[in-house]
Amino acid sequence: MTTLLQLTVSGLALGVIYALVALGFVAIYRASRVFNFAHGELLTSGAFLMASATEAGVPWVTALGLSLVATGLLAACVERVVLRPLVGRPVFVTIILTLFVGQLLRALVIVAWGAEPRGLPTPWDTTATVEVLGARVLVNSLVAAGAGAVALAAYFLLIRFSRLGVAMRAASQDQEVALALGIPVGRVLGATWAVAGMLAALAGIFLSLFPRSVDANLGFIALRAFPAVIVGGLDSAVGTVLAGLLLGLLEVLAQGYVNEALGPFGHNFHTVFPYVVMMGFLALRPHGLLGTREVQRV
Amino acid sequence: MPTRALVTSHEQDLALYPDVWHRLAMVLGRATALAFPFLASARWVGVGNAALVAVVGALALMILTGFCGQVSLGHAAFLALGAYTAAVLGQKLGLPFWLLLPASGAVAATTGLAVGVFALRLKGLSLAIVTLGLVLLVQHVLLSLPEWTGGLSGTAVPMHLGFAGEGRAPSFRDTSVLGGVVLRFEQKLYFLFLLLALATAQVTHNVQRTHTGRAMMAVRDQDLAAAAMGVDPTRAKLLAFGLSSSLAGVAGAMFAFQQQYLTVEPPFDLGMSIQYVAMIVLGGIGTVFGAVAGALAFTFLTPLAEEVGSALPFLDRLSSAQQSTVLFAAVVLAFLVFEPMGLFGLWLRVKRYFVAWPFSY
Repeated sequence: MTTLLQLTVSGLALGVIYALVALGFVAIYRASRVFNFAHGELLTSGAFLMASATEAGVPWVTALGLSLVATGLLAACVERVVLRPLVGRPVFVTIILTLFVGQLLRALVIVAWGAEPRGLPTPWDTTATVEVLGARVLVNSLVAAGAGAVALAAYFLLIRFSRLGVAMRAASQDQEVALALGIPVGRVLGATWAVAGMLAALAGIFLSLFPRSVDANLGFIALRAFPAVIVGGLDSAVGTVLAGLLLGLLEVLAQGYVNEALGPFGHNFHTVFPYVVMMGFLALRPHGLLGTREVQRV
Repeated sequence: MPTRALVTSHEQDLALYPDVWHRLAMVLGRATALAFPFLASARWVGVGNAALVAVVGALALMILTGFCGQVSLGHAAFLALGAYTAAVLGQKLGLPFWLLLPASGAVAATTGLAVGVFALRLKGLSLAIVTLGLVLLVQHVLLSLPEWTGGLSGTAVPMHLGFAGEGRAPSFRDTSVLGGVVLRFEQKLYFLFLLLALATAQVTHNVQRTHTGRAMMAVRDQDLAAAAMGVDPTRAKLLAFGLSSSLAGVAGAMFAFQQQYLTVEPPFDLGMSIQYVAMIVLGGIGTVFGAVAGALAFTFLTPLAEEVGSALPFLDRLSSAQQSTVLFAAVVLAFLVFEPMGLFGLWLRVKRYFVAWPFSY
């Protein structure tokens, strides 16, 4: 029972991170129908910026804010320089484009910070644990879950109530009509990317807290968040968050229970388990949990 | 400006090479390819072999992505399946190498058709992600069957000439003398690969010219319109998946023969899939010329890119493979933004200039 509880809590903590990553994808996808394969690299740059800032002696919370803003700017730059000229080209082109932008960013990160992993300090004791309902949980996991929840709430408030959020929703429905109504779609897209970049940086930072560390391969976690995007439904923010939590939980539970049951085949099975779930979903319900069903018009 | 000469008869339309210039280019190209292994050093013959593997792999991806418009990031998975089929069948059952090529193709094609069934309901993005998942799944399966594939430590790839029983069987790897000419292993491999690459190019070219390929292109351009005109999108997509993955399996077996020793990761990861996508984008999407030119350019420029990369500031902090990745990523981005048709588009510009000379257009 304690094991189950322990796994549930750490699964939910991982799930919140997946939800943050997946939400970044969905934000960009809803706004511009671009699936950003470079998202993982934004994650890495956010975490490295944070590591550099804390090493330079900047207070922790200030460093957090700085790296969020810097990553947001980086994402907006990517949108302005690389993607804006290609508006209206086939979906295929943007997929390839973001893949290669990702490779360039990854190289940039390695050039700037090197390939060695480094730890990320925290204001509290990094290895501290607390007792929750009889299960030992890392303070880091709890803080990650809390920060993730706050960020998700902030995102939904932004989308629902702010002027920018309304503009974002309008642009995602129909760019031409939005333009005709006087919404600066270009700037709104830039802002969307900046928000997605900030979500990515936040996910990257909390992902690299103890027991993990900041290294250049952090971006691969974005690959693991893809299934959450698909399972949740590509254009549904709520569905994505649900799916992120669900897949994080499933992954940790699979690690705890399924891996052993499968014998030699189960070694590291939990890393591909989200993909298995995703394939099942695609076979039975291709538009995901809460996504809109694709309608073909002739 | 037309991109090809005016066609006035059915025979002209059927001709493989429309005019004397195409025929001349083909003859010259083949002559260069035949002379290459005798003129180049062993290292460059090795690069040539890698290039021919890439040509077959890129042609396979061109059928699926270029002709049928299905974006696949799972090409590495099919190559991995082909390569490991060749290695395992050669190692455990002692099959001769010429039997391994079709066997690899068959295994990869079966998987490809299974994925194709998913693809029928998916488009663009979701398909890219499913095929990405396929790479991870295949890696997982290969790593979790160590008694067959050697797991993390990998497996050797034998190349028996006949069915191998007890003792040492004659191998394709031995140097042989043919009519007074000494042929080393990499030269023999080169001619085998050249034959396979030419055959694949011919098959792909013919697919493009026949109703099968035209159905695929119709599905790529607008699937609803294609269906309304009587093209069966299901059939076209499944055919594209089957054909593409079987050719990718053959390319995988070729890769295995060339490497002589296989491990799962690297080389069979997302990076490899992206490389193949880079090749066909570099060459020009939707053309046979593009796949061949892209693959050749990519493989022959890689050693060069590594030299340039180590001379550039900052880039010298990356490993040589990363350096060439960065340079190619930059080149591919530039092509996507400025010349979407790739090398084929560049060639068209040059050709149009000379056709229209002395006028500017």
